[in-house]
Amino acid sequence: MKARHIYLYIYALLAVGLAACVDQHDEPAAGELLVTSTTSVGETNTTIAAVKARFCSGSSVAETTINSNNYWSKVTENLVLEGVVVGNDEGENMYQTLLLRDINAAAGSDQCIGLKIRNTFLSPYFPLGQRVKVNLKGLYVGVYSAMPVIGQPYITSMGNKRLGAMLLELCRKNIELIGKPNRGAPELIPIVLEDAWLQASANRNYNNTPILATVKGVIAEVQGAAAATAEIGANSGEAEPLPKIYGPEALYDDGYAVNRHIVLGNNYQVTLRTSTDNAISFTAIPSDSRSYTGMLSYYGSEWQMTLRSLDDIYPSVK
Amino acid sequence: MKKAVLLTAAFCSALGAAAQVADSLYVQEENADFTFTETQLDEESDVSQTVSSVIGSQSDTYLSKVGYRWSSMRFRVRALDNRYSQYYMNGLLLNDQERGTFNYSQIGGMNDATRNRENVGGYEFNNFGLQDIGGGTNINSRASQFAEGSKLTLSATNRNYILRGAFTHATGVLPSGWAFAANVGYRWAKEGVIEGTFYSAFNYFLAAEKRLRDGEHSVSLVTFGAPTKRGTQTFATEEAYWLANSHYYNPNWGYQNGKKRNAAVVKSFEPTTILTWDWRINELQKLTTSAGFTYNSYGKSSLGWAGDAYDPRPTYYKNLPSSVFNVYDPERNNPDYLAENPYFLEQYETLVDYWTSSKANRQINWDRLYYVNRENEKAGGEALYYLYSRHSDQLVYSLSSTYNHTIDRYSKASAGLQMSHTKTMHYNQMEDLLGGTRYTDIDKFAVSDYGLGSEEAQNDLRYWNRQVKEGDKFGNNYNIFVNKANFWAQYQYNRGNISAAVGGDIEGTSIEREGLMQNGRAPKNSYGKSGHARFLGGGGKFSLAWRPAANNRITFSGSYDAQAPLARNSFVAPEMQNNFVDNLHLERVFGTELAYNFRFGELTGKLSGYYAHFSKGVEQSWYYNDQQSTFTYLTMSNVSKAHYGLEAAFVYQVDSHLSFNLIGTISDAKYVNNPYAQISYQGMNASELERLNQCTDPNGKETPLRVVADGMRVSGTPLTAVSLGANYNINGWFFEANLNYYDRVYVGWSQYRRLNATYRTDGRFYTPSSVDANGQMVFEPTKAELETNGGILFDNAGNVLKTYAIKQEKFDGGFMLDLSIGRYLRLKKGKSLSINLSVNNVTNNRNMRTGGMEWQRADNYYNERGGVYSKGEAKAYQFSKNARYYYANAINAFLNIGFKF
Repeated sequence: MKARHIYLYIYALLAVGLAACVDQHDEPAAGELLVTSTTSVGETNTTIAAVKARFCSGSSVAETTINSNNYWSKVTENLVLEGVVVGNDEGENMYQTLLLRDINAAAGSDQCIGLKIRNTFLSPYFPLGQRVKVNLKGLYVGVYSAMPVIGQPYITSMGNKRLGAMLLELCRKNIELIGKPNRGAPELIPIVLEDAWLQASANRNYNNTPILATVKGVIAEVQGAAAATAEIGANSGEAEPLPKIYGPEALYDDGYAVNRHIVLGNNYQVTLRTSTDNAISFTAIPSDSRSYTGMLSYYGSEWQMTLRSLDDIYPSVK
Repeated sequence: MKKAVLLTAAFCSALGAAAQVADSLYVQEENADFTFTETQLDEESDVSQTVSSVIGSQSDTYLSKVGYRWSSMRFRVRALDNRYSQYYMNGLLLNDQERGTFNYSQIGGMNDATRNRENVGGYEFNNFGLQDIGGGTNINSRASQFAEGSKLTLSATNRNYILRGAFTHATGVLPSGWAFAANVGYRWAKEGVIEGTFYSAFNYFLAAEKRLRDGEHSVSLVTFGAPTKRGTQTFATEEAYWLANSHYYNPNWGYQNGKKRNAAVVKSFEPTTILTWDWRINELQKLTTSAGFTYNSYGKSSLGWAGDAYDPRPTYYKNLPSSVFNVYDPERNNPDYLAENPYFLEQYETLVDYWTSSKANRQINWDRLYYVNRENEKAGGEALYYLYSRHSDQLVYSLSSTYNHTIDRYSKASAGLQMSHTKTMHYNQMEDLLGGTRYTDIDKFAVSDYGLGSEEAQNDLRYWNRQVKEGDKFGNNYNIFVNKANFWAQYQYNRGNISAAVGGDIEGTSIEREGLMQNGRAPKNSYGKSGHARFLGGGGKFSLAWRPAANNRITFSGSYDAQAPLARNSFVAPEMQNNFVDNLHLERVFGTELAYNFRFGELTGKLSGYYAHFSKGVEQSWYYNDQQSTFTYLTMSNVSKAHYGLEAAFVYQVDSHLSFNLIGTISDAKYVNNPYAQISYQGMNASELERLNQCTDPNGKETPLRVVADGMRVSGTPLTAVSLGANYNINGWFFEANLNYYDRVYVGWSQYRRLNATYRTDGRFYTPSSVDANGQMVFEPTKAELETNGGILFDNAGNVLKTYAIKQEKFDGGFMLDLSIGRYLRLKKGKSLSINLSVNNVTNNRNMRTGGMEWQRADNYYNERGGVYSKGEAKAYQFSKNARYYYANAINAFLNIGFKF
């Protein structure tokens, strides 16, 4: 019997001891986690303005041209630019896109470019106000639907080749964070644009797209009788719900977004493009005039705005 | 009495007590059960639950061998699901009444305590119940059945765990009429043979029995359980295996703070107590009555993510190199195209480099999940990633009573009653917010569809925007109740060269769901009770045997049974709402078998053929649906299947030391009709649901939604298997070698890809393109194309002429060699020592696929115009070419040392 006691005790001790060894984990320290380079990607040797001038000024400068609104070139040298993240996907409305802005007082330039990265939620890694350095070597620069962007080509769901998001895995090699995010950075102050500027066709050039901008106006779709008239989605075949919201799924287009129209003072309209599945899209559209801030770009003769989050809609120009 | 106190104390500490085993000298048996049982715990629960439990009668030359020998390939006898076999203990049925299956983890590690068992084939007469066609096993765990003594077992292996210890003790029947037996054990691996897995499982078993009135009555109490925690593996695509350079790559784990952490951890504990009263009425009659209670806690953890958070699984298809461009499209994957578009190959190579440059890159990045959660909370949000457990806890009360009567020297009869009440509690439980502190109980897919502030987004309308903390239930919470009552009777007559047995049963079943949350997508039918679905089933069977000569027996058997559908398949979207699926009928099972058992001199064997037909079955699967961007339930009803084949076993006893055996089967198990389909998805938009459940023929006329399943094989088991074995024993040494060949294992097939509505959208409805000279309709696709890609041929009036299911992948066959050596030593004073070393897959064949699953996702985008879907561009990632596979274990060994004293 003694031996049996000993066996039992040995078992108990062994079992308890071994059980303690499995599936125990300490939480990671609340520090930095980088998906970007942990070392320098090189000295800054160019600007967003220069890069746009070189790669985005027209299809004639491109290695690959799909059409006049979609072309790109591969960067084969160490071109390092800097910019501050002024637009990201924190409101789940800008898809796989960061808006970088560089205000260069010395050169008198204030330029933005899109940085497309393949990940559905970039804002934890690239919060607003974060300054970044991008070494363009190995990446592609060009325009996507006329908007200057950095990324890598891909094939769309419609089978078209476009300049799209770069692999997140390349951030480790090509992107470096500079300092901590600064929500008070001057780059985060949008440019307030008036009708006249927007209407001037001369302003629709690569230097002015994309921009972090604010426009003020009412939404055409909720003015007068239109407010009570539900549109039928060409794709879904369904009527949108009333009262109208910014991005009803019933009206989704091939880009899985909905276009509304901001009517400015003299009836000039800026397209407000909203994805169908975020907090903005389900928000009821106010009928009064509001200020809208976001990434402004043009396509053809239209200016188009993509809001960053619901905070980009406010009663009057701040 | 001192022993009893000791045993009770040990049991109470959940570490069990001492016990003793049945005195078996057959060395393979030392770990045979053990190995077979543990093999079934290797994989996802879905897979393990389909493993057939029943090996059949020990006297059956074929069935007694195949279960263990072919367990490496997860062989299922006759390709039958576990649900068609019954598992009893002391006459009480242990099968889970919601899923129909027996859960082996319930008796995990209790090999010595469950060794006294009676196995019977599906048509055999027995004393404990009417079995389904898969047969049954009854464990006799009464304390008096254990031989007196103790046994210490130590094992080492390189499988799920690496160490095992067990101690058993039994008192035998004491002069007072009491008998006690107990067993305690522990299995452990800090890391199992599959990277990232671990294992920690206690087990205890205690039996006490009191004999009264000289054995006329006896009362037995057994209680057992095996609290287990184990990290699991999961399957992956061949591409992922290639990138990881191993068929044993396990994407379930990743590094956290530099240490490995598994995301899919099973925690289970099924304490069970059975009270049995045996009444020996007289020499010829016996009544056995058992009452049982089980509380099963089962949870398996999984990563969850909300909002737009990126899928955290390393094998998410967008992380794989082949997601860059369609590598299966020869127009793209050719030197000219890639030279013209070098960026595709660049990205492909970047991802290959990423996957192959560091092990951490192809595993879960836990640190990143913590980081994102913390950053998102800093920005005013809440946890986006979390670890949660999907629970299926169960409360079971059951009662059985069995009457056995030996009527005369030729005939005997048995009859019994089985009743059970099962309450399964399904819910999600928040395990870990991964550095976050806030999480709201809303459905992320509904948020996308209806908005954050919508009623539909709420998982429980009674508690709007309820905050979930670690340990809280969330997402879904519901009970499934199953009540069953079964009365059965059997009779056997045996005289001269003839024996016959007949049996029958009648069974009543009720199924009900009780929602404990008022789901915002189904506010009117999610909270509260569904009402009962009631089924009255039953059936009968017979077996006729003729012995034309001594040692020769020919048996012809048959059965017909009508069974209630499984509760788990009975609700259209059980996590959300109470609606029963359409076409919920009794499943009909017809089975027959012709067997010839023989002995000619030293040659014994069995030849048999069988056929089983299943009809009106219900099966359900659920998956992420591309079109609705949410989870979808697809239920097939009116399912018909046929299983048939030949089995053979020969044993040649050269002398008392050496024998050879040859066993094999060639069989088929397939769907033989195109079942109805019903789709429900978590969004529950009424018009979308209606659209999803519609299909029209080429003339635009509505036709029932069906799955083109005809010809699809039952997956995950070899349909062809052959084994050549040799056994040699001398002077207490035992040697065994088995060379096994397996073939015709099929992948689990996608119902979604074979929906007639999917065919319709993909343009695989065909009408005659012309009529040939003989007046025969001519169709554009060739037969080979139809057999590969699937399609439905219609005449011009819209009548279906022929259906073709998309081809199902068949895996390559192959050989595996198993060796075993054992030594039995009889020591002084009745003590003995047995040592056994078995090595499986000696040739280290790492390419044997044991199972797998196609994706329930489409290869193409779908364009919608005016509410009508049409096939769009091919996706870069081709799901149909990237099924996920399991592989049989590489070379593995098991060392077992048993000391009896």
